[in-house]
Amino acid sequence: MSTPELPEIISVTIGQWGVAAAPKQIRTLLGSCAGVVLHDRVAKLGGVAHIVLPDSKGDRAHPGKFADTAIPGLIADLEKRLGRGSKGRLTAKVVGGASMFPTGPAFNIGQMNQDAVDRILAGLGIPILARDVGGGSGRRLTFDVVTGAVSIRVPGGEEYLI
Amino acid sequence: MPATLDDQARARLGVLFERGAEQASAALSKWLGQPATLRTSEVNEVDLTEASELLGPGDSLVAAVSMELAGRVGGQLLLVFEDRSGLALADLLLRQPPGTATEWGELERSAANETANIVGCAYLNSLDAHLPRLEGKEGGQAGGAMIPSPPTFRHEFAASLLEFALMDQAMELDRLLLVKTRFVADDRRLDWSLLLVPDRRSLAWLASVLSAG
Repeated sequence: MSTPELPEIISVTIGQWGVAAAPKQIRTLLGSCAGVVLHDRVAKLGGVAHIVLPDSKGDRAHPGKFADTAIPGLIADLEKRLGRGSKGRLTAKVVGGASMFPTGPAFNIGQMNQDAVDRILAGLGIPILARDVGGGSGRRLTFDVVTGAVSIRVPGGEEYLI
Repeated sequence: MPATLDDQARARLGVLFERGAEQASAALSKWLGQPATLRTSEVNEVDLTEASELLGPGDSLVAAVSMELAGRVGGQLLLVFEDRSGLALADLLLRQPPGTATEWGELERSAANETANIVGCAYLNSLDAHLPRLEGKEGGQAGGAMIPSPPTFRHEFAASLLEFALMDQAMELDRLLLVKTRFVADDRRLDWSLLLVPDRRSLAWLASVLSAG
């Protein structure tokens, strides 16, 4: 009897997004950044954006870094793979936005990212099915493109699903 | 003021950190009761997407003690231990057989915090003595000595830790700067790193006072 093959895992680094189809998984490690997971359940296609800041303020050189450019960029890549529009097909999960340092200019960037992501997804009519945000620890996010399940691990903790 | 360092500024900064490492080595040796040196200071300037791998695989767990900096240079100073070598440090300091410490309890965290305090303060004292002085308050938030906050212990994914530490710079810059110093004891490389991550204002100040122009 052969051992079942483990699904390929695609890593998404800070300030980038990645798209994958079943049976692949997508993984990213988050601190204060926001991880936005978009899933087309029917097509078993999905993607993850690892967003650093809420607003590009016109910067087009690093689209994966900002919520207002990364989310539309991720959707455009998904639509390219679908070969059609995605309106009404996508659902979202939002992860991250922790705050490690209690002071400094960056201390509330996690909340600002969450607010921007909520506003952009609402504007696009994409429902947020689950979220795991805030706190003081980083998170390892693993997204199963087949089921849409997002598993989260925090340092020293058990893995859990949202 | 420029936000990134030219070659000359990076070289000068490297020399400053080598001097800091010498002073910190002496303090660390005294604290450990055996010879230890801090060396291989690197001034790393990297793209945002490369930053998460600076401490090795992003999902490896590290123990980190952070101290926020105020004064002439603001930002973060972090002493980062690969998990096993951090626990080995705790065994050494607690005078217990190697392998006794297996998790980060209160005693182990306290040992890490105290080590970071001793090494970090020695490092900062040296930097403070050798950094150029400017009149007025141009150098950092307060213009005075470099003052660290009390140490705070973290157990974190390496990539998440770097993301937290570099966020202030990432808010405006696409190339990020940090200084990394490695530790050696009895010619064995220890999996510890001391990271200095200046905030944006301090980075601009360092670039200004250390650059060729």
